Amino acid sequence: MIVAEQKPLDEVKTLIDGAQNVLVVGCGTCVTVCFAGGSREAAIMATSLRMASKLDGNPQAVTDATVQRQCEWEYLDQISEQVAEADIVLSLGCGIGVQALVEHYPDAWVVPGLNTSFMGLPTEQGVWAERCAACGDCILGLTGGICPIARCSKSLLNGPCGGSENGHCEIDPEVPCAWQLIYDRLSSAGKLDVLLELQPPKNWRTSRDGGPRKIIRDDLRLASEEA
Amino acid sequence: MKVLLEQTGLEAERVRMFNLSSAMAEAFADAAKEMTKQITELGPSPLRTQTENE
Repeated sequence: MIVAEQKPLDEVKTLIDGAQNVLVVGCGTCVTVCFAGGSREAAIMATSLRMASKLDGNPQAVTDATVQRQCEWEYLDQISEQVAEADIVLSLGCGIGVQALVEHYPDAWVVPGLNTSFMGLPTEQGVWAERCAACGDCILGLTGGICPIARCSKSLLNGPCGGSENGHCEIDPEVPCAWQLIYDRLSSAGKLDVLLELQPPKNWRTSRDGGPRKIIRDDLRLASEEA
Repeated sequence: MKVLLEQTGLEAERVRMFNLSSAMAEAFADAAKEMTKQITELGPSPLRTQTENE
């Protein structure tokens, strides 16, 4: 999932400063699961902003609405009337949700209420960890299902480096060395020979190095869009 | 919740969670008395004051 966390309330207050009508928009997918921007968080954010603005002596009308997925335009159609009435839309979606709102409602002023952090998973209740960097050229099949791009601090392809100590990374003794994890997993599976195979240089053009990315599936496109 | 209240501009001491079962009547009463005393010492909510002034 995409993992995010809320911006401090003071920063959010600055972003919506001067607006009379504010619409907080939650998202029912990733940010709901990581407790950052679901319907409950959107309602709490709206209430907090109403209270804070009242205490500041400049009460703002703050309402909230949550759509199933902020990153798909058809779901955003459901809040068109509320968006039209708002001076500012505060998105509690990830960075994709914010931009989907901007692209779908170009006349609206949309600001982010979250800091989008990474793609990861909950390793225990209340703890999320990064697992994928979306490099566009997955090598998990060569590394025992442990990603050195996302989990090695240097994204090394030939680790571990000299900073690996007792299975942990030099940046933080709490951070496991990804290459130690890879070695241990391949070793226990009897597949260490995988590491001896020479690999061609990784194609980083599929990552951010190739600029903004786009996938086009002609088999899924509507006929009217093919021309 | 306490952090959120402070960020909003209210005292964090205005809210507190007590873990009690339905069989703990005396503990419930003690908690209610404790919170009542604390809230009284803090005084009226600034939000309520704002409302009354309007």
